[in-house]
Formats: sequence, structure tokens, C-alpha cells
Amino acid sequence: MSELTTLVVSILAFAPPVALAALGGVLSERAGVVNLGLEGIMRFGAFFGAWAALASQSAWVGLSAGALAGGAAGALLAALAIFAEADQIVAGVALNLLALGLVTFLLEWALGAAGGITDPVPALPSLSLGGLGRLPWVAAAAMLLLPALASLLLAKTPLGLRWRAVGENPRAVAAAGVSVRGLRFFAVTASGVAAGLGGALLPLAVLGRFEDRMPAGQGFIALAAVVFGKWSPLGALGAAVFFAGAEALQIEISSSGGALAALVPRGLFLALPYLLTLLALAGFVGRAVPPAADGVPWDPEAR
Amino acid sequence: MRPLLCALLAATACRRPPPAPRASGEKTIGVVTDVGGRGDQSFNDGALRGLEGWACGLAYGASGYRPLSEPERLAGVPADVIERAGAAGLPRVAGLRPYVLQARASEDYRPDLELLVSRHVALALGVGFMLEDAVAAEARAQPEQRFLLIDSPILDAAGRPVTLPNVESLTFREQEGSYLVGALAGLATRSGKVAFVGGMQVPLIQRFEAGFRAGLAATNPAAAAAAIVQYTGSFDDSSAGKRVAQALYAGGVDVAYQAAGADGLGVIEAAKEAGRFVVGVDSDQSQLAPASVLTSMIKHVDYAVYLAARDAAAGRFSPGNRELGLAEGGVGLAPIRIDFPGKAAALEKLAALRAAIIAGQISVPSRPEPLAAAPR
Repeated sequence: MSELTTLVVSILAFAPPVALAALGGVLSERAGVVNLGLEGIMRFGAFFGAWAALASQSAWVGLSAGALAGGAAGALLAALAIFAEADQIVAGVALNLLALGLVTFLLEWALGAAGGITDPVPALPSLSLGGLGRLPWVAAAAMLLLPALASLLLAKTPLGLRWRAVGENPRAVAAAGVSVRGLRFFAVTASGVAAGLGGALLPLAVLGRFEDRMPAGQGFIALAAVVFGKWSPLGALGAAVFFAGAEALQIEISSSGGALAALVPRGLFLALPYLLTLLALAGFVGRAVPPAADGVPWDPEAR
Repeated sequence: MRPLLCALLAATACRRPPPAPRASGEKTIGVVTDVGGRGDQSFNDGALRGLEGWACGLAYGASGYRPLSEPERLAGVPADVIERAGAAGLPRVAGLRPYVLQARASEDYRPDLELLVSRHVALALGVGFMLEDAVAAEARAQPEQRFLLIDSPILDAAGRPVTLPNVESLTFREQEGSYLVGALAGLATRSGKVAFVGGMQVPLIQRFEAGFRAGLAATNPAAAAAAIVQYTGSFDDSSAGKRVAQALYAGGVDVAYQAAGADGLGVIEAAKEAGRFVVGVDSDQSQLAPASVLTSMIKHVDYAVYLAARDAAAGRFSPGNRELGLAEGGVGLAPIRIDFPGKAAALEKLAALRAAIIAGQISVPSRPEPLAAAPR
């Protein structure tokens, strides 16, 4: 099997959770709400996805439950950040902490899972590639389709126009008679659905079980992908694919045992998403400008 | 946030205060687990099995402790531990009670140890190298209290092992068990391609790598020269482990040895999907993929803790670090349940190598040579 095939399979198999969570980040931030809770939302999506899949013995039910749980977590974040006007950063961090504790508790209490790991969950359909393992094509298809749809939604529809406007200039949206808070609530909930879907892929398409340490920082990689992808759905997809590709390339290089393996330290590739994000923010990879009202709570009384 | 988390933790019963001491002369052994906690199927579970199960004859469940019958207590004790324990076996230790605190964050280690000290436990056990700092600090503050630290010696500021008069520490010669894994991999491989997948590239995991490569060289020098060594860079990311292993198996590797924590679960999943062999670590991981897990390199934390508990009950305590290898029953291989061509001869060879290591005829390196030095 050629190295290129291995690389492509690796990207299609391992980029989807990050890509979908990053899409969630874009959906939220384009509406003006910073979603720092992606990691926690992915964790909820992963756990409830696995739980529902185990209970129903259907991966599709699991996937739906993961999306629903993500949506609920997104709605919670939205309620805190938009209606309670909590600091968006603090609310996001709080959501991550809640997911950390609550999921560990539920895993023990509801599933009685020994070793912090569940029984095998029903897997999403996948394509057998012989020695290459299995390719979970549902995850790959979702990764390629959903950002494209979101891109169309944001760019071509009236809802998309308002969505973007509420993140750039909420005052104008309010003047046009549209509820800023309502629109933002919808956007952050949609963000949760996407990130929850990404999280649900971890047990249903990657590990085949839920494991207590999921998603192990992939939500933060997704945050990096949002910035590196310049707050656009396709950009975030590109960033997620790029990060996964760099990781796969590093594995190829260090497995080949050539001179390059000795030359490029492993840690460099592990740090790559963060380094590139810093570079993007510093303006080295073209300008990375967040939506103007990103992170600014909507206060109708403010002048 | 904090109160909510605490409420959740309280609900999982990890902070349940111990019952009041009953009969005088009963000794309490206190345990602080690392953040992996009860149910990690690894170090913490091993330590708790040795103390609660083997020494005290108790099983922990949702409603607290329940006494075990004698057959229940000894069910599942590995054959090499029974062999090692000899005719005396593993008797229940009278007059011992466990008191277990599960740390949920590294900031909890020191307060949890302080709680054990305030409860006047006979021995305060810290499970895992992550508790080294906390145990060292608390031992210096409480010279009257006896401590036992698992998986790391006490270190000074420069990282050199030191001896405190009230701390005993146990470490394992993982390289010796890993040597047997390497030897087995060399005999079981058909493609001649084998790989080691580590978590973080730290000295502890490098001991696994060193032993593995030495054992591989003993039975299959060609495979040793071409062996692939990969580190995932984490211990908590099953996706990263699967990503690495999937690429290795795609490249023709047919036996991989993982010492990578949760990343290793991903390695096992990749082996299952590719239909290749993988060797588990710390505990018998066979049930995760019965057709793919060739064996597991087990650290007998349970046995080590059992012996320490027995000593504590008898009032014996020997400060300083002790290394447990094959000879001491500290490490060993799980039963090899999978058949492969030449299995009988391979098992004989493994037994001979094990005997040679125990007899001191083979000295297993604890540090890998730089990869560049390996012939290609």
C-alpha cells in the first residue's frame, strides 16, 4: 500500500471529530459568541453517543443522541453567556469542567464501566481496507458535507446573512427588528450539535468504545482550527485536515527510519496546531480577523 | 463550579469517611490513588486488589465493603504469583482494614495524605509516580508516619533517588518483562516487522522500549534491526494511539507492543481491525480484543502491595527503594491464549530466557540505545 493512500486514509479516519467540532466553533463565533466549551461539548457528545448506542444497539441512535447532547450543552452555554450575560470565556471553561466531572460520574453510576471504559459500542458502517484497517466512511462524509452546507448557509441564505451580521454588528441586526439574543441562542445551540456530533464519532467511529479520557484535548485542537481556518467553515475543515495530515506524515516519516526521522523532533509535530495558530494570529499566514462582535455580550442598552 | 464537582465526587463515595475503628489492635492501611482512580484496570486497581482483596479479603461495591469467601479471594490470582508465593500461598492478613481516598486532581494528593496521617494509619500508601512529590513532602513533615510509594523512588531536587527513614518505595524492572515480550514478538512475527508504541518519551517508558528491543534481538536479530519505535506523546488520547498503530499495521507490522496508557487502547483497537497482534501492558488486556492481544506485560502491583500490607500488619518496615523484577514476582507475562505457528517452541524459549534472567545470566538494559546506533 502506498504511503499516500495511508496518509489519505489516516486523514479521513481521524480528522472528522476535530473538523466537526471546529465547524461548531465557527458557527458560534460567527454569531458573536466565543465557544470555549468545545472540549466539554465533545465529551458530552461522546459519552451520550456511546450510552445511547449501547442502550439501543444502534450506532445511528448513538450518533443522534450525541448530537442532541451536544445541542443541549450548547444551549446551556448559550443560556449562560447570552441570557445570564456571564463572561463567555468563564462559561466555556465551566462547561468543560462540568463535562469532566459529570461524565466520569455518569460513566461509573449509569454504566458501571470498569476501567473507565465501556463495552464495545455498535460501530457506524465502515469500509474494510484490509491491512489498512477500516475506514469509517460515515464520519468522513459528514466531515466533507457539513462544512460545505454550513458555508452555503452562511454565504447564500437570508438566515446566514443575519447570522454573520449578529457577529459583526448586532446593533444593525437589532435595528432591523431581529432578536439578537434569539439568533445567538440558535447559533450556539447549532454549534453544540456540530461539536456533539464530532464527539460522538470518537466512540462510534474511532475507538469503538467510550473511554473516560475522551476527547483528550481534541476540542482545543478544534479551537485552534477555528482560528487557523479564519472563522470560515471550509477554512476550519482545511485546518483540521491539515493538522491530521501533519500528524500522519510525522508517523510515516518516523516509521520509515530515514535521516528525516532523526532530524525532525516528534514534539514539533505535536506542537504544530498551536504553533500555526500563533503564526496565524500574528498575521504570518494572511490576516486572521475574528468577527467584530466576537465575544462581546449583547447589551441592548449600550451605546 | 467547585462545589458542584465536590458534590459529584461525594456522590461517587470517594470521600466517604472511614467507619470508626473497632477492636483495638486493628490496623488501617491508608491508600491515596492517583487521578486514574479506582477502576483504571491498571496501577490503582492492582494496588487495591492487593490490599482490599488479597490481604483484607474484601470486595468493594456500590454499598461499601463486602467480605469475600476464600475461593473468591483467591480467584484470578495469576499463576506466576502463586508460583512465586510458594507453599505458604497468599493467606488473608488478620486485623487489617483498608481506607481508600481517590484523588481527582493532583492538588488533592497532599491533602489526602494529610488526612491519612490524621487518621493514624499504620501505613500510608501513595499509588503511582505522580504522588512522589506529595509523599516526599508529607514524609518530611510527618517523620513518625510510615509511607509506601509505588512506582517511583523518592527523589531529591536534582532528580536523584534518596532514602527517607520513614518511606519505603517499590519500583519495577519493567525492562525484564518487556524483554520477554520482545523475545515473544521475535518468535511470533511472520512479516519480520515489529513495533513498539510508547506514550510519552520518559525514562519509565524507555525502560519498556529498551527491554523489548533487547529481547527481540535475542530471538530475531533481523526484526530487531528493522524494529520501529513510535511515541504518541500522550497517555490519554486513544485516537492518537490508533492513528499511530493503524499506520504501523498498514506498513506491514504484525506484532506491536504498547506501553502508552489510554493511547494503548487505540493501538489495541487498530490491531483488532487489522487482524494483527498486539501486546498489552500493566494488566491482562486480553478481554479488549481476545483474537489480537497476544499477551500482556503485567506489573504485579497487587502482589507488591499485598506483601507490604502483610509486613505492615507484622510491624515490619524497611525504608528505601526496592526493585521488583522477574525474580521477585514484580513483573510477568499474562497467559498466552492465542495460537500461532511454533507456539510450543516459543513458550519453551521464553521459559528458558526467564530462568536465565532470574539466574542473572542475562542482564537486561534499562535504557534504549539511540536509534541511530541500530544497524539498518
